[in-house]
Amino acid sequence: MDKDKAQSRRNFIDKGMRITLGLSLAGVGSVALSRVSAKKWVWQIDPFLCTQCGRCADYCVLKPSAVKCVHAYDLCGYCDLCGGYLRPEHTERDTGAENQLCPTAAIERRYIEEPYYEYVINRDLCIGCAKCVAGCTAFGNGSLHLQIQHDLCMNCNECSIARVCPSNAISRVESDAAYIIKGGFTREESGG
Amino acid sequence: MQKKLIGIFVLVLFLVIVILVVMDYSSTRPDRRGGNPYEFSADIFTAVDPALVTYREIRQIITNAEQPKAIGCQDDRIYLLADRRLQVLDLTGRQIHEKSFPDEPRCIAVPSTDTLVIGFENYICLTDGSGNVLFTSPQETDSSIFTSVATNGNTIYVADAGKQRVLMYSRDGLKKGEFEGESGSASLHGFIVPSPYFDLDVNHLNELWVVNPGMLALQSYDDRGSLMNHWEKASVEIDGFSGCCNPAHFAFLDDGAFVTSEKGLVRIKVYDPSGEFVAVVAPPDKFTEEGEAPDLAVGESGKIIALDYDKRLIRIFEPR
Repeated sequence: MDKDKAQSRRNFIDKGMRITLGLSLAGVGSVALSRVSAKKWVWQIDPFLCTQCGRCADYCVLKPSAVKCVHAYDLCGYCDLCGGYLRPEHTERDTGAENQLCPTAAIERRYIEEPYYEYVINRDLCIGCAKCVAGCTAFGNGSLHLQIQHDLCMNCNECSIARVCPSNAISRVESDAAYIIKGGFTREESGG
Repeated sequence: MQKKLIGIFVLVLFLVIVILVVMDYSSTRPDRRGGNPYEFSADIFTAVDPALVTYREIRQIITNAEQPKAIGCQDDRIYLLADRRLQVLDLTGRQIHEKSFPDEPRCIAVPSTDTLVIGFENYICLTDGSGNVLFTSPQETDSSIFTSVATNGNTIYVADAGKQRVLMYSRDGLKKGEFEGESGSASLHGFIVPSPYFDLDVNHLNELWVVNPGMLALQSYDDRGSLMNHWEKASVEIDGFSGCCNPAHFAFLDDGAFVTSEKGLVRIKVYDPSGEFVAVVAPPDKFTEEGEAPDLAVGESGKIIALDYDKRLIRIFEPR
């Protein structure tokens, strides 16, 4: 009788251990799975809300800023007289430093054929000041716009630029659609 | 004594930290920031010498339209296209007639009060003066975007911004031909249309003039597509056109002078028939900053009628 009791206690402990181990494994597995499949959120600028205030250059925790100018080539007019490249008071339509709008000469002007020029952003030089974006928006098609570069961005819990953005243009977006690029994309299509 | 000193020190430290946090927070508030060191300013170009403004605004007509599209004028009647309908107004804004369409009309020519040519995205209609359709042309390709129509006798000219060409139709709707602008030298190039602003009109000498917006130029063509005349003014100064696609709209005064409207620096100006700057009709401060270039029509006695898309107004200017 005592032997049977001892036997059933051992069985109970044995079963309990197995169940506990199984549940633990299932728990760890489900946590790991949820971590893998959970959506990640990253900060991004809505170019349709951006007012080119210049704060992206100054307020990012990174120096230079993780915000860079990007170019929607399908929107660009490839103009000789480019409002994003040339200062309004330029004297010549050429690559002279005195004629360039960008304070760091981060836009490269490449001749294609008369009268077309391509404007390429040098990301290493761009500080995200949006001066070219303002010029392009004022005089051109708005093909130049700012985007947070996610290979640079620290994805801070609270984005220090978003905190001071006067137009609330910076918000978290899902990482699988981490960029809001102009071009074929329009405000209507975005559902905004 | 020592405890008291420590207490005072901790209290002072706490106050300093609080002050620093408050200062830091308030100094980075968007409304507390100093000037933008990277500010793009075109203010010197928005200011216009008042002596150059030789027109005055005599009337504003509220359109009550959600999406005004285009405007025309004939015999002091204003023809407004908006919200899939044609409205015929007198110069006081009183509605004389209204006609709805199944599609969104985009441009209009009014050769007479009995005949209208209305352009849709990729086809045109000839209508009577009330907008009743007399014929409809076949639809062009999906990539076509008709932005302007004009007439010269039996020929209807259509600016197709999508395909960067000018189409020609007869008054019975048959397509007579098309051309893409003349190229061949550094100063000549086929039509460059970076955005859907591509206007054309016919002057009092029956000459077809077409904007080549990418070249900031106006060009005259015959019906074979040969360039007859052209002028261009690329400049951000008041006497020129700036940006990627200007002038966005133009119309002719009775003497063949050009009335132009621009986007970017939104302004309306007059150039003589040879392309020399004459006067400013409306400087940039009359319009919404970075707004759309107003569509233009010319009425009796040199009145200039502008469709202000941003304020949804019809604005009438006359010489001082």
